[in-house]
Amino acid sequence: MKPEFFSLVRSPWFWLAVAFVAAVPTWLPPYYLGIGVLTLIYIALALAWHIVGGLGGQISLAHSLFLGIGALLSSALFLKLGVNMWVGAALAAAFAAVMGAAIAWVDFRFKLGHLSFALITLAFAEIGELVALGWDFLGGASGLYLPADKGVLSAFQFGGAKGYFWLMLVLAVVCFLANVAILNSPLGYYLRAIRDNENAAQAVGIDMLRNKALAMAISAALTALVGTAYARYSSFVDPYLFASPAVVIDVVLIATIGGLGTPYGPLAAATLLVPFGEIIRGKLGGVAPGLHYFIYGALIILVIRTMPRGVVPTLQSLLTRRRAKRRAAAPAAPRVTA
Amino acid sequence: MDIGMDILAQTLAQGLLMGGTYALIALGMGLTFSVSGVVNFAHGDILSLGMFLAFACFNAFALDPYVSVVITLPVMLGLGALLYRGLLKPVVGSHTLMVIQLTLGITFVLQNGLLMTFGGLTHRVPSMIEAELILVGDTLVLRAALAVAFVVCVALAGLLYWMLMRTDLGRSIRAVHQNARAAALMGVNVNRVRMLTFAMGCGLLAIAAALLVPGTPLHPSQGLRYTVITLMVMVLGGMTNFLGILLGGLLFGITEALGTVYVSGTSGMIVPYAMFVLVLLLRPEGLLKGRAA
Repeated sequence: MKPEFFSLVRSPWFWLAVAFVAAVPTWLPPYYLGIGVLTLIYIALALAWHIVGGLGGQISLAHSLFLGIGALLSSALFLKLGVNMWVGAALAAAFAAVMGAAIAWVDFRFKLGHLSFALITLAFAEIGELVALGWDFLGGASGLYLPADKGVLSAFQFGGAKGYFWLMLVLAVVCFLANVAILNSPLGYYLRAIRDNENAAQAVGIDMLRNKALAMAISAALTALVGTAYARYSSFVDPYLFASPAVVIDVVLIATIGGLGTPYGPLAAATLLVPFGEIIRGKLGGVAPGLHYFIYGALIILVIRTMPRGVVPTLQSLLTRRRAKRRAAAPAAPRVTA
Repeated sequence: MDIGMDILAQTLAQGLLMGGTYALIALGMGLTFSVSGVVNFAHGDILSLGMFLAFACFNAFALDPYVSVVITLPVMLGLGALLYRGLLKPVVGSHTLMVIQLTLGITFVLQNGLLMTFGGLTHRVPSMIEAELILVGDTLVLRAALAVAFVVCVALAGLLYWMLMRTDLGRSIRAVHQNARAAALMGVNVNRVRMLTFAMGCGLLAIAAALLVPGTPLHPSQGLRYTVITLMVMVLGGMTNFLGILLGGLLFGITEALGTVYVSGTSGMIVPYAMFVLVLLLRPEGLLKGRAA
């Protein structure tokens, strides 16, 4: 981990921003608080996915497996075997990490390339959904119902929406910091080298398997943790929500609109798009169901056509170019006199 | 013949017939991919659009899907051409991931456009041969709609093959597939070929939609499943290999039927996916190697 990470962790502005968001539930009305929780869930998911999809440039659609493991496995362990959900969350995260590493191994062993990787992870995701729907231990097609939340922290209960808002905020901050930490660590440099040119990366001696597996494992474990928290928050653990690739495709699109390569892309896009979509759905859901997804789709087409790298990276390079121009303009005058 | 053999023969026949339609759907995508490198994640949703167009024709004019294809085919051809010119052309040749993301965007627009237009209920389109059955020999019972679909698909695949081998358009498609730059130097209008191929793929989907509609419940969210099947069939076939894609479609249809009959419940539906993963791992280049169009 490099100075960039520590300067962020030490920066009072960062913690001030977090504290500001943490204070939001004290005044937000309940309906909007629910949207806030969902937004934080998507921020966390988009950032967790970004470790593989953005830093590593691999469009993984298998993240629904990890989300599903986090949600279904920990809930099933609790309901069927009485395992405490904290332990269940840890077990699910560990299992997801192993599974992520295994998928990375498959990718490495069979040299899949970007396209085959997207396809094979989509096939894994479909298989995962079918397993979840067919296996009674995980609740089958009818899902699982977690008992009412009484706010017992030791049983992974966080009370009402306020508690879950703070839980999701913690998870989102962890995912964000994980991104920043990896971005500025050797792993981050290796991942970017692999993303930009796999053959060249291998030629200079980067350990493909180790780096891909590590990124996938971290990303998978974080996704599973969010899955457990999301499941406990919604109480009804619906396999059609948690184990279906649909949510992950959502997350991938949001992250892409924001821009990959910097954690600020997925962060900004999820922060803006999820509340926007939820409010549209709340206001117009009865009249035009699916309108917010329609708008997502139109937006992504627009962004890919006008800003192929995503909104945030494009804005960033615009800013640095303008700054560079200003800097170039300023010292030009004294140089002439000297 | 004992009962077990009967069931096996029945299952294989069913799978074979279904596989023909899968192959036809995947051929369109395979052709597009081989000339422009576009992996169209919206393929299944375009098919879904075709099915809903057939439904709309039935609703408005009480047209049988086999008749309304006269209307949906030109509509889908035109739509394909527009889609290519307006959206896909600028990203052809850029990173695969960008094309995937763009077509995922199209997926969302199409799927939710259908949801807004037709609502979230499941629809059915009746057809004149929906309930007809065909008896082959003493024991084999086939659904007429599936048999018709299979025959049409085989005929279309043959027509497509003839077109590729014997017509000028087919020759230019093969030329662009082999080497786009060289084809351009020889005076082939590469962009036009790509657009026509994409439009043709959408046209094939209009026909496939008409063939699938009898007996298939329609729901706006069905597209992704067809996309997944198409992509798998295409990859099984080696992406650009015409015969390979045909084989891949049949193999997928047969494993799906075998899985549904012999493995109970949802785990049966896993069988084709597991087969796909296995084939991709053992033969990453697909069932048939090679670049022949």
